[in-house]
Amino acid sequence: MNENVLWDLKADKVNGLAKQDKRVDQRALDEYRKIEITKNISENAEGSANVKLGLSEVVAGVKMILGEPYPDSPNKGTISVGTELLPLASEDFEVGPPRPEAIELARVVDRGIRESKTLDFKDLCIREGEKVWICFIDMYVLNNDGNLFDALGIAALSALLETKIPKVEDDKIVKGEYAGKLKLSRKPILSTFAKVGNKLFADPTLAEEKAQTARFSVSTSEDDYLCAFQKGVSGGFSGSEIDSCIEMAFKSSKEIRKQL
Amino acid sequence: MSEKKIVVPGDLVTEQRTRLGSHVFTENGKVYSDALGLVYEDRDSAAVVPLRGKYIPRRGDLVVGIVESEKFSVYGVAINSIYASYVSKQEVRDRLKRGTVISAKVFDVNEINEAKMEDLRVFYGGEILSVTPVKIPRVIGKSGSMLAQLKDGTGCNILVGRNGWIWAKGGDINLLKEALDLIEREAHLSNLTNKVGDFLKEKKVNK
Amino acid sequence: MASKKDEKIEYVKNGKRLDGRKVDELRPLKIEVGVLDNADGSAYLEWGQNKVIAGVFGPKEALPKHTQDPYKARVKFIYRMACFSVPDRKNPRPARREIEISKVCSEALERAVFIERFPNSSIDVFVEILDSNAGSRAAALTAASVALADAGIPMRDLVASTGVGKAGGEIILDLNKAEEDAPDAVDIPIAIMPRTEEIVLLQMDGLMTKAEWKKAKELGIKGCKQVYEVQREALRKKYEAAEKPEAKKNPEAEKPKAEEKKTAAKKSEKVSK
Repeated sequence: MNENVLWDLKADKVNGLAKQDKRVDQRALDEYRKIEITKNISENAEGSANVKLGLSEVVAGVKMILGEPYPDSPNKGTISVGTELLPLASEDFEVGPPRPEAIELARVVDRGIRESKTLDFKDLCIREGEKVWICFIDMYVLNNDGNLFDALGIAALSALLETKIPKVEDDKIVKGEYAGKLKLSRKPILSTFAKVGNKLFADPTLAEEKAQTARFSVSTSEDDYLCAFQKGVSGGFSGSEIDSCIEMAFKSSKEIRKQL
Repeated sequence: MSEKKIVVPGDLVTEQRTRLGSHVFTENGKVYSDALGLVYEDRDSAAVVPLRGKYIPRRGDLVVGIVESEKFSVYGVAINSIYASYVSKQEVRDRLKRGTVISAKVFDVNEINEAKMEDLRVFYGGEILSVTPVKIPRVIGKSGSMLAQLKDGTGCNILVGRNGWIWAKGGDINLLKEALDLIEREAHLSNLTNKVGDFLKEKKVNK
Repeated sequence: MASKKDEKIEYVKNGKRLDGRKVDELRPLKIEVGVLDNADGSAYLEWGQNKVIAGVFGPKEALPKHTQDPYKARVKFIYRMACFSVPDRKNPRPARREIEISKVCSEALERAVFIERFPNSSIDVFVEILDSNAGSRAAALTAASVALADAGIPMRDLVASTGVGKAGGEIILDLNKAEEDAPDAVDIPIAIMPRTEEIVLLQMDGLMTKAEWKKAKELGIKGCKQVYEVQREALRKKYEAAEKPEAKKNPEAEKPKAEEKKTAAKKSEKVSK
């Protein structure tokens, strides 16, 4: 309860500064926090990464599993994205089944990757109608200081870029041996904006999220495509605000892509 | 009463500067409706009377309630509101049991819509009938005309609470129920008092 | 039917789509208000093949207690698909998709409702999809907003929603399943408060350029406004329906539920003809 009141005060400060186009950490409105990417944090994973976005920290790991294709796409493998908000990441997170917040995070990251068509799901087919790769991307939040969408998006992509495809013999995975790397044709980057007052903040901190009335995430590719949108939180945007977010996203994603 | 304009939430009520009645709000100097209802506009105010809605206590409301619980210094009273309502024990001489029907006046509503009440009266026997709270003004009518007619036509003792609960005793309670149904169904139409009058007369004759 | 063909399909030919619609044309949309007796407000909606029923309860005390917010009400929107509403039987357990849709729709409605007037309370909106063919979340949100108005919940505006997107390189309004299955399909569920055009729900998946998005945005907002007209008419009709018994000099109204009987009578007339 005391916590909540404290956050109210922090949010008030964010709101007050926003009127003067300022942020608590002195960033420009469209500026990202420092991003640190550490790859291959787990040897058992086929690909993995730890991403720090300011004080927010997440890990992502990929496991490639053999499975059966969906009947309506017999020659395609697929991806599956999961997110857990670990209780160690924040007092707000609890043990238990995934909450809507976690489900939304996972599904938006999933869409950003899937819809960019960076992975050709036909590449994940081993034998049509029988055996395909299912690429499980599991992500965990270790510390929450806001903008988990972008942190997880970068982590998922970083892990995929490292992912090795296991060797298969007699329809079984040969442990510890690999047949090559996963092919990615694009690098979709998720960029999230918080609406605070009538200002748009890139890469919001937790305090800024407490002050936001609405949130917009957009996934963009290096070849100038929009791949996914998600509007969240109980406020709205004008059409031109959405367009400003998109412009900012194309700019900031270029910088982020260089750090991958 | 002339034909009233039907509005839905977000519809423009007037562009004139005016005193705001119930269920309207202003945005950029214009007045909009926040509910599905009928516009009541006069020279210095605009309001919308919604078709439906829950009861939210207001200061000065006379309500009918049922004693629900007993706490250290207060009785908790159900008044058809989603928020808790209380009456101080100092208001009553006898101890009230759960289920006792009372009427009381709301004298304070706090920021989370909890009501404190005074001027408590206890009722013995009778029944509680309920009507959509937004229709209560029509049950009372202009300067009580509808209510007088209902009392007259049914022979019931009636106490109408703003909260949509009506206490009634004696007389033809079933007839009262039917009349209330009629009011509820046609509350937004004109000439209601006469219609209810006709209805009650006709029923009497048939009996 | 289920498998996507790689051969070229023309999704718009001579200005007409596969189902004969124009690019900016909605599927037939029909809304009926006040269809459930127990709910505080309700609506039934048919939109193309989509069939949706929405019921509203509240405002009421938010439970469990820790979900209460002393500054405002929460809108709890629950979107569920009936097991038989999709070609393959849907697992009755709520899927992640349904949970996400519920979340974004809750948030969209919270913008429209004056939630600050009902501290500590919950406004529950339950939507069940009875039949579906692309665009069910737009249908659900559209029906929910009408049901909220029917319940007398104070709102800034209605929330009108539609799908818009791309199939075969064409920007089109209100995609059906066949169009959504196009190899280059882009689906954009959008919802606005029509008076201000404020966007309260926006999602997208698929690849599109900025220029295509601009076009889709305009078409989507235009579509939402058409949906809004249907919502308004449906709500107003509720009044007009109540007015009918008055038209007769000798009020039939003394019989309880006279209107219902009337409509029932009409139906039987039709049958006998």
